[in-house]
Amino acid sequence: MNDRESMLAALRNGLCGTTAPPLPPVLPSPELPGKDCAERFATMLRQVGGACEQVRDLAAAARRVAELLAAAEVRSLAVSDAPELAGVLEALPPTIRVYGPESDRTTLLAADCGLSTAQVGIAETGSLVLVAADERHRLCSLLPPRHLVLLPCSRLCASLGAALAALSSPDGRPRSPTVTFVTGPSRTADIELELVIGVHGPRHLHVLLIELP
Amino acid sequence: MTHLDAEHFDQNARAALQDATLRQALRRATDLFAERRARAIGAVEDWEALREQARAIKAHTLARLDHYLTQFADQAERAGVKVHWAKDAAAACRIVAQIAADHDCHRLVKAKSMATEEIGLNAALARADKEPIETDLGEWIIQLAGETPSHIIVPAIHKTRQAIGALFVDQLGIPPTTEPAVLADHARQRLRAHFAQADLGISGVNFGVAETGTILILENEGNARMTTTLPRVHIAVMGIEKVIPRFADLEVFLRLLPRSGTGQHLTTYQSLLTGPSPQDGPRELHVVLLDNGRSRIVADEAMRSTLACIRCGACLNACPVYQQIGGHAYGSVYPGPIGAILSPQLDGHAGATTLPFASSLCGACKDVCPVKIDIPSLLLELRHRAVLSPPPHQRRRPFLERLGFRLWAFCHRGPRRQALLMFLTRLLLRVPGVRRLGPAGAWTATRELPAPPRLPFRRRPEARR
Repeated sequence: MNDRESMLAALRNGLCGTTAPPLPPVLPSPELPGKDCAERFATMLRQVGGACEQVRDLAAAARRVAELLAAAEVRSLAVSDAPELAGVLEALPPTIRVYGPESDRTTLLAADCGLSTAQVGIAETGSLVLVAADERHRLCSLLPPRHLVLLPCSRLCASLGAALAALSSPDGRPRSPTVTFVTGPSRTADIELELVIGVHGPRHLHVLLIELP
Repeated sequence: MTHLDAEHFDQNARAALQDATLRQALRRATDLFAERRARAIGAVEDWEALREQARAIKAHTLARLDHYLTQFADQAERAGVKVHWAKDAAAACRIVAQIAADHDCHRLVKAKSMATEEIGLNAALARADKEPIETDLGEWIIQLAGETPSHIIVPAIHKTRQAIGALFVDQLGIPPTTEPAVLADHARQRLRAHFAQADLGISGVNFGVAETGTILILENEGNARMTTTLPRVHIAVMGIEKVIPRFADLEVFLRLLPRSGTGQHLTTYQSLLTGPSPQDGPRELHVVLLDNGRSRIVADEAMRSTLACIRCGACLNACPVYQQIGGHAYGSVYPGPIGAILSPQLDGHAGATTLPFASSLCGACKDVCPVKIDIPSLLLELRHRAVLSPPPHQRRRPFLERLGFRLWAFCHRGPRRQALLMFLTRLLLRVPGVRRLGPAGAWTATRELPAPPRLPFRRRPEARR
């Protein structure tokens, strides 16, 4: 008998004759106060130390990205392969070096800022959902000390439950091998429970909510 | 290395009580935790419904664990995960070491995981000269200090900033500081160098979804993302009780765990991994399923709910015993109320005759438990068993104890005998010093025993008439 069979047999023998209580149906997601997803998303994100602002369209977002990068004196930018970013990157000054997801790890580890979109925003918690099968943002969202995110308002959903539902394909299989939920900048409270922002992940998380697609 | 010795809980606890710095750190931390938790769950209207839902899901899953574990393993394998089965700690350590050897991995990084603490993975890998670098700030501090964690969520809860500052000066040669932000920044710089080089990442698992074969890892710092993204191989060690049936069940657990653990709505990062992702992540994902005594607990209907625990640490923070003595005194990997029921049942049976007694049975742990584990009842059951089957050297109780209880039983067989016993007791208690004699001293050394009343209770109604 191999290890799998012997471990399962131990469980099966131990549970022999046991009647399992029924599996309860999935609870409905909570009703959230307030109608406006964008407002709640921004409030929740700010509560955990993230920055959030609304811009009208992609062109306005591009201008704002350039301003923010200049203000933070960003010299090197790690970007994902999202098509929405093309226009934004064109508007950047040539002094900023841009590195795509193919760049080597050392370069990405040294980048000043990461730029990507997110596939879903959760209003309930102010969270971003990064679906790696749809966009190569796994490294640029993690390694640099700043992460700048463009999020169309149309991608906002009300609750955590709705976001989880969006991650499964119709046959019930996950759409992506890797999915990351991000709620605010990296933090720790491991020393005397004092909050410190920015340990291993980005210290700054800035989301631009785009009103028009 | 702190010596883990659950058999000497009494001595450990006594020593901890003498440590003023420890008690100050504990008081501060457990108060803060309780306050944050209360604020977080106050904002959730259906908190009790969530707890009941989680309890019911766990009760169902554990009673059919063979089925859900099979489903989880099959789905994970379908997604490209290599699933390994470890019946005990030694097997799990052997599997991890073998994977490291097969893939020629030499630079190991590790994210915080209680399961790997349980199996003593670091020590086992160190014997093969492959000790992983701990990357969670608290765990790294503990590793630098050569200690063991004293809390499930905050491993270095027993250390003050001064102690951590001194440790960093000593071990890393940094300029003296006690500022948490500066200390955390040094950790970031040092650990980045390790991440950049690492070829094997080791993590635990918070939840494994049977329906999809997905594993979830919750964290705040980003070190678990680094550990599961940068190295070319990722090994996740998962206790078999971590399985939940449906992907949609994640919602209830994600709403319960962070609020109970740290008082957050959601931890900063959740990584949902369904198979390897060679493009921007590890080429191989291995999941090691760990039994180590769990199948025995599953088979034990009275104790089965022990395995419903989602390791939030709320029972530690709420426990008046933990609040005074901290985690190390328990002498087992899992401290606090959950440790007192879990450790004696796992392989090794740590503290089976001591830990179930390390509680006042006040019930605070039960009240805060997000999956409604009735810890006091489970403690009582374990006490019962400890008394029924004591270790060989304790099987025969001392002569005086047996005589005492025989007399006690004799005196309670009739009202006259009982009245006589009470009369003699009242007389005896008036003798100076007698209240500190023998076994009574254990109680009266730190407390006052009130003087016996002039009129016994059973005579009061007639006296009033």
